[in-house]
Amino acid sequence: MAPYLRILLVSIGLVAAAPAWAHPHVWVTVRSQIAFNAEGKVSAVIHDWTFDEMYSAFAVEGLAKKGQLAKREDFAPLAKENAGGLADIGYFTTVKIDGKALPFGDVQDYWMEERPDHLVTFHVTLPLKTPIPPGRFFTLLVADPEFFIDYEFDNNVPVSLVGAPKGCSVSVAKPASLQAEEKKKLDESFFTNLSPGSDFGFKMASRAIIACP
Amino acid sequence: MKRLSAFLFVAAASPAAAAAMNRPFSVGGGEGGGPATGIVGWILAEQAQLTHLMSGALKGLHDGPQAIWGLAALGFAYGVLHAAGPGHGKALIASYMLANERALKRGLVMAFLAAMLQGAVAVALVGVAALIFAATASEINVAANWLELASYAGIAAVGAWLVYKKGAAFLASASFALASWRATKAGLLYAGAPWAAANAGSFLASGFRAEAPDAMLDPDCGHIHAPDPRLLGNGFSLRAAALTVLAAGARPCSGAILMLAFSLAQGLFFAGVLATFAISLGTALTTGALACLAVFAKDAALRFVGAQSRSGLIIARGIELAAALLVLAFGLALFYAGAASG
Repeated sequence: MAPYLRILLVSIGLVAAAPAWAHPHVWVTVRSQIAFNAEGKVSAVIHDWTFDEMYSAFAVEGLAKKGQLAKREDFAPLAKENAGGLADIGYFTTVKIDGKALPFGDVQDYWMEERPDHLVTFHVTLPLKTPIPPGRFFTLLVADPEFFIDYEFDNNVPVSLVGAPKGCSVSVAKPASLQAEEKKKLDESFFTNLSPGSDFGFKMASRAIIACP
Repeated sequence: MKRLSAFLFVAAASPAAAAAMNRPFSVGGGEGGGPATGIVGWILAEQAQLTHLMSGALKGLHDGPQAIWGLAALGFAYGVLHAAGPGHGKALIASYMLANERALKRGLVMAFLAAMLQGAVAVALVGVAALIFAATASEINVAANWLELASYAGIAAVGAWLVYKKGAAFLASASFALASWRATKAGLLYAGAPWAAANAGSFLASGFRAEAPDAMLDPDCGHIHAPDPRLLGNGFSLRAAALTVLAAGARPCSGAILMLAFSLAQGLFFAGVLATFAISLGTALTTGALACLAVFAKDAALRFVGAQSRSGLIIARGIELAAALLVLAFGLALFYAGAASG
């Protein structure tokens, strides 16, 4: 078959066939706390996620009277819906110790509220099924694998430790910007990339590394 | 045709990605998701940036009305990229064109109407739900999911109609080719030829080109001319085209819903409406280009194999039938996934 014809058919196939490739529609600034129990084991991840102004405007829709901030009780049904759906999607959260992802138990202590600057925050506690010693180091990843939501750690207080053994420290590694990275790959991957990897959101995510003595 | 089968494979594998609904923090019309790198990754990055620029431009309206032009331009660019990234509406229009349509102008009009309908649906959804009923985000999502389901059902219906039409055309051309092959084989150009037996009013008979008998007797002309593609292939139906537009445009896009909700919160709903229709215009441009590409690709394929040859005709009908089956499978898979999770 003539090459130009092949290109045409493949590109039509790509376009017609393409699944809903999402680009981020929702942006979240992440502040996370990692809680340790009395024995110094990692026991839970506590998230405070702040949404961008567009999603925030959408989320407060119909909740409060004009001119008033939407309170936690106004948000209760939406918070429940969102918190309840977290398990199915893997909590948007991965904690890895020794390269193994640790399972979470049922979500606890969740709420949403509208801040005075009209941005909406979501708070949730994700307890580990079984608390586990931190080892030399472990990692925390907050990301949407499907990249509908773009999670980024807060610049000032990205991750804090609660009740951690003495000497533990946190560092956050940010990924290269999406554009710089993707533009580089543009040329070679146009025709070869019929089935790109399945972890685009993860690739774009920031990681926190917690080192303990 | 190895590539064609690769194309079908990619196509068949894709609806799985549409199963994502009811995710936390979803936005109605929810474009689920899927991974992407390369050119699609670049489009994603640009769109993400455009979204931020649009919300900035919208807020800029508080300082003066001149920001409206920037907002419209950004919306247009967003729409162009939005449609270049995949979506069921665009896929449907392109597939419909691949399966059924030769008239480019009609395809462009359909692309335009579908895009405008999509914008209007988003405006109506947010306008009615939020402004009049003070609906919550969850309620807007539920309404959007219903629209989505309706859109999927429409896609399946268009697919079923196309399969019915194109299946008949494919069978007709195949049996015609078989009959003419037999006729040539037996050296009985007239005796076995199907038109001798065909009734004047039948589908096949109307499809054949009249051919002077002496041309048929020419020893170099061992083949019988194929049915005229224009007569067989152009089964344009206003109803089917309208259904295609409805199915492609019924599902509002998440980006527009967010933009409208944000503009409402800013007290600038009108600007949000304008931005939404700017997005629609951009979408129409890209979808129209895709529709052209679909027609162009089919024509190129036909030219390559020779549309007048027997195998060319069967291949053409085969491509069309495959595209029709694709639309049907796509619609059913999306509808099933949507109904199961909604």
